[in-house]
Amino acid sequence: MTVYKGTIAEFVGMKECISCLTVQDPADYTLPGHHIQDCIPLWTRHGKVMINAKSYMTLVDLFKPDMYYLLSDGDTNIASPAKRIKKAVQNTIKYHNECVDIHKNLNGVKNSFVMGAIAGGYDLNARKQCIEGVCQKDFVGGYLIDGLHNNGPEVELLQIGEISPVVEFVVNHIEPTKLRSIHGCWNPVVVLKLVQLGIDLFDTSYCYIVTERSCALTFVTDIDDKEEMFELNLRQPHFAEDFTPILTGCTCLTCSKYSRAYIHHLVTVQELLGPVLLTIHNVHHYMTFFNNIRKCIGNGTLNLLEEKVTKQFCTSENVVDSEKDVLLTDGHTESTELIENDTYRNNENSSVPISS
Amino acid sequence: MSLRTPLVFNILAECGTTKARASKMILPHREIDTPVFMPVGTQGTLKGLLTEQLDNLGLQIMLANTYHLGIKPGVEVLKKAGGLHKFMNWNGALLTDSGGFQMVSLLKLAEITEQGVKFGSLNENKSEIVLTPEHSIEIQNAIGADIIMQLDDVVKTTSLDYIRIEEAMYRTTRWLDRCLQAHKRSNDQNIFPIVQGTLNRELRTTSAKAHMDRDVRGFAIGGLSGGESKDDFWKMVHLSTDILPKDKPRYLMGVGFAVDLVVCSALGVDMYDCVFPTRTARFGCALVMKGQLNLKQKVYKTDLNPIDKDCDCSTCKTYTRAYLHHIATIHTISCHLLTVHNVAFQLRLMKNIHESIKENKFVKFVENFMANLHPDKDYPSWVVDALETVGIELK
Repeated sequence: MTVYKGTIAEFVGMKECISCLTVQDPADYTLPGHHIQDCIPLWTRHGKVMINAKSYMTLVDLFKPDMYYLLSDGDTNIASPAKRIKKAVQNTIKYHNECVDIHKNLNGVKNSFVMGAIAGGYDLNARKQCIEGVCQKDFVGGYLIDGLHNNGPEVELLQIGEISPVVEFVVNHIEPTKLRSIHGCWNPVVVLKLVQLGIDLFDTSYCYIVTERSCALTFVTDIDDKEEMFELNLRQPHFAEDFTPILTGCTCLTCSKYSRAYIHHLVTVQELLGPVLLTIHNVHHYMTFFNNIRKCIGNGTLNLLEEKVTKQFCTSENVVDSEKDVLLTDGHTESTELIENDTYRNNENSSVPISS
Repeated sequence: MSLRTPLVFNILAECGTTKARASKMILPHREIDTPVFMPVGTQGTLKGLLTEQLDNLGLQIMLANTYHLGIKPGVEVLKKAGGLHKFMNWNGALLTDSGGFQMVSLLKLAEITEQGVKFGSLNENKSEIVLTPEHSIEIQNAIGADIIMQLDDVVKTTSLDYIRIEEAMYRTTRWLDRCLQAHKRSNDQNIFPIVQGTLNRELRTTSAKAHMDRDVRGFAIGGLSGGESKDDFWKMVHLSTDILPKDKPRYLMGVGFAVDLVVCSALGVDMYDCVFPTRTARFGCALVMKGQLNLKQKVYKTDLNPIDKDCDCSTCKTYTRAYLHHIATIHTISCHLLTVHNVAFQLRLMKNIHESIKENKFVKFVENFMANLHPDKDYPSWVVDALETVGIELK
């Protein structure tokens, strides 16, 4: 990016989109620990890279995103000890102030929308401390509620009851005019509850996680929708001769041209087009979901949508494996590795060339 | 089913010097400009690309593999889907191989008898299958491709076992008759026989002549591109196109390097297929007129050019070499982007060949192509020899 003069959005071929730079990838499990003084670890394909406020802001300046988060220490989860939480808050306040000072002298991000982060795990006192530490100056346009989890597939299993005290507390203590965001692949039921609690911004890591397990989103996105399965696992053999689209009535490219049977074939023979078609549908479905959330907020029917999605989720058998560890306990490392290995294997196999 | 013949081959122009010709081949699903390169979509998909993308690239015909499709999704599903075109949402033309090639590629697992080929199981989930000429055609009838191939008895090209080569050559003709007999859709599908005989002139001649006695609408030249020397390779192509009738398409199987496509088009070949362009994309390589770029190499880390500034594919219009270097072979999107470019490259090359023949500039095109590839004029001797045979002298 040092030689490239454009923005990160142009570099990755998506210049028509608004770009938002996050510190960690919400779709990938972030390994905890490995902190050193003034630095947080980023896990790249070349291994661990330590990053501090200065090196982070240099990257931000080169990437020139439309919006970005100030560096924060989000390495806490529901099981974090008090000592880690305390350190995360101290680090986040320190990075926040350092980044703000650096930002003022940078050209590339002059017009970027800046967001701060509130750390502090599940400890309300720590959250309060963090808010007091970063909210003194009216500099940022919004806040991320950070430090609820370590990203990756496990986020889907977190329940609203576990996170709502923290979310409510933070929302009540930051200025109401600021944008509020939460990252991670939350279950749609939790997304709706978070919206009700006042969260404005989410990401699409859920679509990625669902695609990785060869599934298609079919949950209701509108109060008038007919109830179907919450999601379909296209690997299941009964889809082999099902020539209907993933979701009847869906207007995405996948549903208008391709059948469940074809996608079943693609995912069982591990062809790259399988996840491509699933991603197209899942992202489209998720965008429709958010369109409808905005519509429901507008006409005061969000409660109805929330009830409907929750009911469908609770009665559907085809949801995430309930045998999996529900919370971020010792089991999480293993299960993330499994998913990563599976991805790797898919890539490996789809690249075995057999033909004439 | 249409009443007109499922393959009409109109030669639009012939090169005044070489044996090259530019033609229009009219198939049930699409008209094809030849010489044509057919990318390989083994399992009913072209390596991650949407059929919408294939249409945008201007792809007219692609290949699919009978052996793989026969295992998954299987004949029953294909029949219920109404054929592979509908199953994979592809309205262009399709060609299916017969499964015979897998005799060579999976030889350790295959046993060949007069009845057919018995493949051992690939893993404990799949039972062993016997592929007979009749069964191959049954699968290919269910797939419904515009052009289907006879099951042939394939011997490794470099084999020196004369008895086995001769046996395979004659058996291929016997299997051709069984395939023609078993074929149930002669109104909308064309069977191509395959000329065998490895590198033996007499056997190859006998094979070609025997197949010309059958009522077929095109011919394949098989058993080449299997590790033989280029000197042997081009001579066998030259011999085959000399014997085969001029008014029917000739399909050279398994050939896809740019140089080979240019030389063999000069020798009078009309159709090609190869996994090379899509396979090399998965290894992070992009095709250019001068050869290929391995985008994993460090020199591309800060290279802000597109792969090829003369290419108008979506990859070259959108991405730099630096970006592609960053993701090459790491993220699946790189395979996707490079496949788009490499398919576009093959199609552009074939279009240039087709157009230059029509404009009577083919000889000049070949000279420019070779000079561009070898600026020091150190042309490989086989290229010089092959082109000299058809009247092009590389200076």
